[in-house]
Amino acid sequence: MALADQAPTGARINPAAAPGRSWIERIPPGWWIAVVVLLAMPMVANNFWLFQVMGWSFILGMIAVSLTFLAGYGGMVSLLQMSIAGLAGYMVAILGPSGTTSISLGLAWWIALPAAFLVAAIFATLSGALAVRTEGIYTIMITLAIAAAFFYFTRQNYTIFNGYSGFNLVLPPRLFGVNWRDPVPFYYLCLGCAALCYGAVVYISRSPFGLALQGVRDNPRRMAALGFNVTAHRVAAHALASVFASVGGILLVWQNAQIAPGTIGIPAAIDILVVAVIGGLRRPLGAFVGAFIYVILQVFSPDVLGVFGFSAERFKLIIGLGFLAVVLFSPDGVLGLWDRWRARRARRVDPLTGAPR
Amino acid sequence: MDKFARNHPVWALVIALLVAVFLWLVLAPWPAELEAAVGRKRIFLNALLGGITLGALYFLVASGFTLIFGLMRIVNLAHGSLFLLGGYIGYEITTYTGSWLLAFPIVFVVVGLLGLAMQRFVFAHMEGEELRQTLVSIGLSVVLADVMLWYWGGQSYTTLAPAFLRGPVELPLISSINPTSGEAIFIRYPSVRVWILVAAIVIGVAMWLVLNRTSLGMLIRAGVDDREMLAASGVRIQLVFLAVFVFGAGLAGMAGVVGGTFQSLSPGEDTRFLLASLVVVIVGGMGSIVGAAIGAAVIGVTEQMGLVYAPTYSVVFTFLIMAAVLAFRPQGLLGAGR
Amino acid sequence: MTLTRPDDRPAQMNSGNALELRGITKMFGALAAIADVTLTVRPGERRAVLGSNGAGKTTLFNCITGDFPATSGIIRFFGEDVTAFPPYERIRRGLRRTYQISSLFAGLTVIDNVYLACRGVSRNRYSLLRPRTDDALVHAAEMLVEAVHLTAVRDRLVGELAYGQQRQLEIALAMSGAPRFILFDEPAAGLSPTERRDLVAILTSLPAHIGYIIIEHDMDVALRVVESVTMMHNGRIFKEGRPSEIEEDPEVQELYLGGGHG
Repeated sequence: MALADQAPTGARINPAAAPGRSWIERIPPGWWIAVVVLLAMPMVANNFWLFQVMGWSFILGMIAVSLTFLAGYGGMVSLLQMSIAGLAGYMVAILGPSGTTSISLGLAWWIALPAAFLVAAIFATLSGALAVRTEGIYTIMITLAIAAAFFYFTRQNYTIFNGYSGFNLVLPPRLFGVNWRDPVPFYYLCLGCAALCYGAVVYISRSPFGLALQGVRDNPRRMAALGFNVTAHRVAAHALASVFASVGGILLVWQNAQIAPGTIGIPAAIDILVVAVIGGLRRPLGAFVGAFIYVILQVFSPDVLGVFGFSAERFKLIIGLGFLAVVLFSPDGVLGLWDRWRARRARRVDPLTGAPR
Repeated sequence: MDKFARNHPVWALVIALLVAVFLWLVLAPWPAELEAAVGRKRIFLNALLGGITLGALYFLVASGFTLIFGLMRIVNLAHGSLFLLGGYIGYEITTYTGSWLLAFPIVFVVVGLLGLAMQRFVFAHMEGEELRQTLVSIGLSVVLADVMLWYWGGQSYTTLAPAFLRGPVELPLISSINPTSGEAIFIRYPSVRVWILVAAIVIGVAMWLVLNRTSLGMLIRAGVDDREMLAASGVRIQLVFLAVFVFGAGLAGMAGVVGGTFQSLSPGEDTRFLLASLVVVIVGGMGSIVGAAIGAAVIGVTEQMGLVYAPTYSVVFTFLIMAAVLAFRPQGLLGAGR
Repeated sequence: MTLTRPDDRPAQMNSGNALELRGITKMFGALAAIADVTLTVRPGERRAVLGSNGAGKTTLFNCITGDFPATSGIIRFFGEDVTAFPPYERIRRGLRRTYQISSLFAGLTVIDNVYLACRGVSRNRYSLLRPRTDDALVHAAEMLVEAVHLTAVRDRLVGELAYGQQRQLEIALAMSGAPRFILFDEPAAGLSPTERRDLVAILTSLPAHIGYIIIEHDMDVALRVVESVTMMHNGRIFKEGRPSEIEEDPEVQELYLGGGHG
């Protein structure tokens, strides 16, 4: 199966791979540059860039990285991650304060937020338990069907989800006297959450749970013959991935200040898959790279399309064709292209002198 | 049948009772108390017939989907796009030539050719890579959806049924008893829908016959059960794949013409019918035509009954059926055990 | 998930048999792959199962581990009825197996493969914390890698290993986490003469309390590492005895040893 080719590899148990150097010294210089650029960005970038482009990229990236975790490490391509993110967002709107006062309970953030994570995790566990009843390619169909059912349900249900209109005026709590929806604080909030999610996925991939998940992906039957309960492991992965998706979903609600069924529709669910695949399912970083590319295209393609006399709606065509190109020609995504380009460049360098041939 | 009754006497009794109650509900005039409790029998019959007709449409779309999956393990998520494209083309043909019937062969050929191109130039190159094929089909559905939106816009179209199919037809089902004259009043139902049902049954029976009574059908069924064996037997399996893909795509296109006639066509209908196919096939079982028929009928009737009797939760019923099937019989009602 | 942790339980005191099969039958459709197999193996006993291809040897293993549950019959493992248990519950009770075609995790390193095998029968299978360098299981995994002579390739991806090395890793996985009984499915298949000698050394140096059943076509390997032999034919047991008896049995010689079924 194609997944096996795209499988992230190289999980090493031994944390002291390079003896004598602390973990800080082992971080490659490219990462330091990225950290500095990201931290310093508010000094040069305008509010639109910080809030709309970067904030949205981080949010999409977090939802997509939950899919990367399931698909890349667990071999389960789930189209449910947007629904889970949306449910967490809905829960924040329903339990916390919103403009729809007839439904929203207006609970304090320290109750509403944990409850939102919990409800999303329960939903993810139950639907995950259904999806792992069958193997492989069925997962994608079953999760798509569940995502659709949830979308139609939110649209038809007015007592809990407020139907078509959903909830508006869903704002983040005013902690430490900061308005977290101001562009700069929101940027740092998203950056911090995204870094945590990314770090957690990388860390967990080399923990016993993460290693076992990769074992389940590569060879479920053998995993059972080593004493692992494969089904339970898969369901647990769904539950764990829901945490990353929920963080993204809650931030998304705060960014838009509203949530409605359209947020979790089928096109949105597919967009998450598109984002993760364009970036590359091989590595967690791919989710964020894919999200950035997607957001850039989404935000700036209307202007470019307008120049050539096309409607802004043709953005979908560009995304679709780009997605097709990636799947057809670089199944491990943009990051895979990058890896291959670097490998080719390294080969061109003379191994003895280091000079280009 | 006998075996089932002998092995599960209690279940057999329960099923027999349910069937009897159902038949009584359909055939007998309802007493006043029942009508007072759940509403007019006419509403019930209309929902039931509507569900079965909808199920017929679902069957036309889903049967191609299930065959393609069963044989090639391709989850073609662009199947709904083929449905919508067929509907639009059918609308254009009917509008320009004035002939509704002419739309069917043309749409079958055009959409079938598109399916041929998809299988020949895309899917065949990544055989065995199930996930990649699925991803490609998602990409195709996104592209097709936007191209169709580009050309046909966001408004909704309804194809006009030909004159001989317009108007209602009286069915031999009692709707109610005229309280004054004591005469039975029979249900009247749009004739185009009746014909859609008849056509779906004819196509379904024909498919079943081809699959079970011809050598091509034997090949396809052997392939659904064991693809390696078929590949090893020296049959030119690519040709079989191509034929099934073309047929499945063409059928989805023709279903689009039908859907455009008795419902309407607009962006988003592709996703709706893709999802219907998914649920039908999950419930009925992958690769089984009879399973698709049963699944389609169950889902269609559930959807319509839900709309009439519990509009808020109609989606939930459909979903609960799917969840129950997955929980207790993950391979689907008639799917091969694995 | 069960609330009681079976792997924490003290070893079950038992009737005296490591493995006890009663009337095991496995049907594939109308075809009986194995029929009415009854077999007992004492703790620490080492036994070979011989027979031509299609005799049902591997199917027997699949029934014992639960990879493919038996159609009928009863399986007791150290006195406990495990017939209805899923594979992982049987493994957690000390049963292990190797596969005829190496069944490994190609995308992980050698040490990670062995570490997973040690994890599978330990607690904290769901731990999200990375193991520390002094983790007991990491140490156990290192020891196993050394025991099967794979230390030189411990950080290589398993997909890149030579065939013989994969076979050795296969054995390391089966030896992980205090096994009580191991099923070896043709461990010598495809190995060079030197590698076969290594294999015999590994098998004979297993702690005495670990019993095993070995399926093997190479009589030189099979008869040197076991104390009893079971012959299977067409899914049934037709002879049991000591290696010397089996070797000299005219019927057996007729069927296998002389028949060129290497």
